Amino acid sequence: MATDLRISNISKIYPGCIANDNVSLQFKSGKIYALLGENGAGKSTLVKILSGVISPDNGEVFLNEKNLKLSSPLDAKKNKIGMVFQHFNLFETLSVFENLSIDATEDNKSLRVRINEILKKYNFNIDLDVPVLNLSAGQKQKVEIIRCLLRSPKVLIMDEPTSVLTEQETEELFISLKKFCDEGILIIYITHKLKEVLSLCDEVAVMRKGKVVSVSQTQNEKVETLANKMVGQKLAKIKKKINISKNKDEIFKVKHLNFYSDDPFETNLVNLNFSVKKGECLGIAGISGNGQNELFQILSGEIITPNTSIIFRNKEIAKLNPKQRREYLMAFSPEDRISQAAVPELKIYENVALNNFKSSNFFEKGLVNEGKIKEHSKKILSDFSVNTDNVELKSQFLSGGNLQKLILGRELITAPELLICYNPTWGLDVGAINYIHETLIKINDQEKSTILISTDTEELLKLSDRIAVIYKGKLSKIMPSDEVTPEKLGILMGGGSID
Amino acid sequence: MSLDISFIGILIGSIMASSVPLILAASGELITERSGVLNLGVEGMMIIGAISGFALMVITDNLFIAIIGSMLSGVIISLIFGFLTQSLLTNHVATGLALTIFGIGLSAMLGKDFVGIPGKDFPILFSSLRESIPFFGPILFGHSIILYFAFVLPFLTNYFLKKTKLGLVVRAVGDSPISASNQGINVILVRYCCILYGGGMCGLAGAYLSLIYTPQWIENMTAGRGWIALALVVFATWSPIKVLIGAIIFGGISILQLHMQAVGFRIPVQFLIALPYLMTIIVLVVISRDSRKIKLNTPTSLGRIFYKEK
Repeated sequence: MATDLRISNISKIYPGCIANDNVSLQFKSGKIYALLGENGAGKSTLVKILSGVISPDNGEVFLNEKNLKLSSPLDAKKNKIGMVFQHFNLFETLSVFENLSIDATEDNKSLRVRINEILKKYNFNIDLDVPVLNLSAGQKQKVEIIRCLLRSPKVLIMDEPTSVLTEQETEELFISLKKFCDEGILIIYITHKLKEVLSLCDEVAVMRKGKVVSVSQTQNEKVETLANKMVGQKLAKIKKKINISKNKDEIFKVKHLNFYSDDPFETNLVNLNFSVKKGECLGIAGISGNGQNELFQILSGEIITPNTSIIFRNKEIAKLNPKQRREYLMAFSPEDRISQAAVPELKIYENVALNNFKSSNFFEKGLVNEGKIKEHSKKILSDFSVNTDNVELKSQFLSGGNLQKLILGRELITAPELLICYNPTWGLDVGAINYIHETLIKINDQEKSTILISTDTEELLKLSDRIAVIYKGKLSKIMPSDEVTPEKLGILMGGGSID
Repeated sequence: MSLDISFIGILIGSIMASSVPLILAASGELITERSGVLNLGVEGMMIIGAISGFALMVITDNLFIAIIGSMLSGVIISLIFGFLTQSLLTNHVATGLALTIFGIGLSAMLGKDFVGIPGKDFPILFSSLRESIPFFGPILFGHSIILYFAFVLPFLTNYFLKKTKLGLVVRAVGDSPISASNQGINVILVRYCCILYGGGMCGLAGAYLSLIYTPQWIENMTAGRGWIALALVVFATWSPIKVLIGAIIFGGISILQLHMQAVGFRIPVQFLIALPYLMTIIVLVVISRDSRKIKLNTPTSLGRIFYKEK
C-alpha cells in the first residue's frame, strides 16, 4: 500500500529561536526525499517532532490522511514511523540482541529468527551477541536500521546518517536505502551534504532558518543551485589571488624538525624544513594520519623537539610553550574544536578568556575582570558573525560552524602575525566554510601569514600561495599553487612522485 | 578435634549472619545504581529501617508487621530521594548525603523512647538440625528466614538483571536514559521503582540489625554499614555475585579480627579493625580486574540527572 505523509503548518519555538516556522511538506512512498539545510536550519527539530521526541507548538502530521498525535516516541513507533538519529540511540553496554529485544513484543526465539532474516536479506554482517560498544559506527547504524525494520515501518527517517561513516560504509548505506525504497518504504533523508542529495534522492526540500524555502526534483538541481538555496544568497566563488613575491621577508622558518615517538599511533617526522613569508599562506596537504597532528603540536609548542630550530620574527622560539608563542603573536586553531580548542562546558566568554592571558587586561591581581571579557567577547561574536550575542551561552550549544568562528575570532582579535590552523572547516556546512575561507584570505590581504594544514585539497588549492604534501612524516618540495593540480596533489598524497 | 570443627562451623554461621545486612543493602543499592541513580542515602535508609522495625515490634508485638513496616519505611524515605532527584532534578550526591544525615537524626529522635527495651526472639528455622549435624548444622540451619533470603537474593538479582525483560530495561535506562526514553521507555518511572526497591532492601537490612542480629535499639546502630554496602557495590563492579563475595569477606574478617583480638595476637588493634576494609577492597579489586567486563557492568549514566526534552 502506498504511503502518504503530510505535515502541515508545523511550528516550534524555543526561547530566542524559531526552530520551525510554519513548515508544510508532503511525501509519498517510492521515493527518497532529501531534507537539506545548514546546521541550525531546523531539520533536526522537524524530525524530532515526526518521531515524537518533542511536540510542536502548532501544526499537524497526517499519515495516509489520518491525523497523528505524536506525543511520545511510542506513538511514532505505533504508527510505523522509524527513525535513525544522528547520535545513535543505542545502549552501548548491552549486546546487539539485547538492544533489539528491548522494545520487542515477541519472544526472544522468534525475534532472533526475524533478525537473522533481515541480516541475510540486506547482507548485513553483524554478530548479535557482542556488546554494541565493540561495533564500528557503520555497524551501529545498521543495528538502528534493523530496529526500525523489525517494526515493518512505512516511513524511515535518517538524520545525517553519513556524518560518522567511511566512504565504503556510505556506499553500502545508499544501496540499502534504495532497496528499502523499492520495497515501498518512504524514506526521508536529512543532510547538509549536497553531493549526497544529488546522488541518492529523488526530491529535495531545502530548509533555512526554520522555513522551507524550496521543494524541487533533484534532477533539476546542481550543487551550486542547491548551495545557494541553502545559504540564501549567491555564494561568491572564492579564489585567492596567488601572491608569490620573492623579495618579501621570511617571517617563520623551521629547520631540522625531527620527531621520534615510541607510540605506534603517532607518526615520526623526518627532517622537515620550510619557511613562510609575510602575507603568505603555506598549505600542507596530506591524507590524515601522515604526521599532521604531530606537526601541528610541534608548531604550536605542545610538543618540544630537540635540535629543531624555529625562527619567528627573527627570534628563536623552538623551546617556548604555546602560551609564550602566543605572546610573540602566533595563533593556533587546532583540528578538534571541542576537545582541543574550546572547553564545551564553559561559557562563551570564559572560553574567550582562556588563551588571552598577558596581552589583555582580563585578569587583574589574579581576579577575573568579567566585564572586560564579556565586552571583548561580544565584539568577537559580532565581528565574526557568530549567530548569538549571548556570551553566557555554554560553548557546547554552538553549532560546529559557529564554534569555529568563535575560535578563529578569539585567535585573530589579538592581531597575530602568523595563524596556524589544522582542518579549520572540518564537518562544517557550506555557508560556514565560505565564511572561514573568506576570513583566512583576509588575513593574508592584511600582510599576515598563515599555515594551513588540511586534508581537503579543494580548500588548499583555493587558499594557499604555496603547497607542500606531507606523506609518512616527510614533506614534499614546496610548490607554487598555480603549478599544482588536484591530480598532482593526489599522486603526492598517495606516496607517488611527480616529474 | 570434633570440638574444633564444630567451633569453626559456629564461626562460619556467625560470619554469615554478620554479612546479611551488607548483602541486603548492597543488593538493593545495586539495582538502584544499575538504573543510573546514585543514592548515597543507604546508611540513612538502613537506620530508619532499624528504628521503625524495632518500634513496630515493641508497639504491635508482631514481628511480621515489624519486618514489613521496616521495608515500607525504607520505601517511604527513598521516595523523598526519588522525588527530589527524579522530579525536581536535584543532584544525586548531595541529596543522598542529606538523606543519610536526615535518617540518622530522625532515627535518634524517634528512638529515644526505645533505648534499653529488650528485643524479642526472632524465630529460627530448622533449629533441631543445627544441633544434630556437626559442622554443617550451624552453617546451614538455625538461621532466620531473612538470612536465607539474603543469601538467595544476589542470585535472584543476577537472574533478574541478566535474564528478564524488566532487568534489561533497568540496564538500558542505566546505560543511556536518553536512548531509553527515545525507545518509549518511561525512564523516570523505572528509576523511581529502582529507588524504592533499593529503599525497601535497605529498610530490611536495618530491621535485620535491630530485630535479629542485635535485638535492641541503639542510636546509630548501623555504624557505617551503609557506607560499606555502597563501597561493595562499586568495588564489586555492579555484579550481584561479587557483592555477595565481598559481603562475606567483609563479615568474615570483621568476626575473625574480633577473635584475633580476644586471643591476643601481637598485632596493633587499629590494624585489625582496619583489616576487613582493606581485605575486602583488595579481594574485590583483584577479582574485578577485567576492564572490559567492568565497562559492560558499569551503568554509564550513574549519578547523572536525566530530564526529558519537551
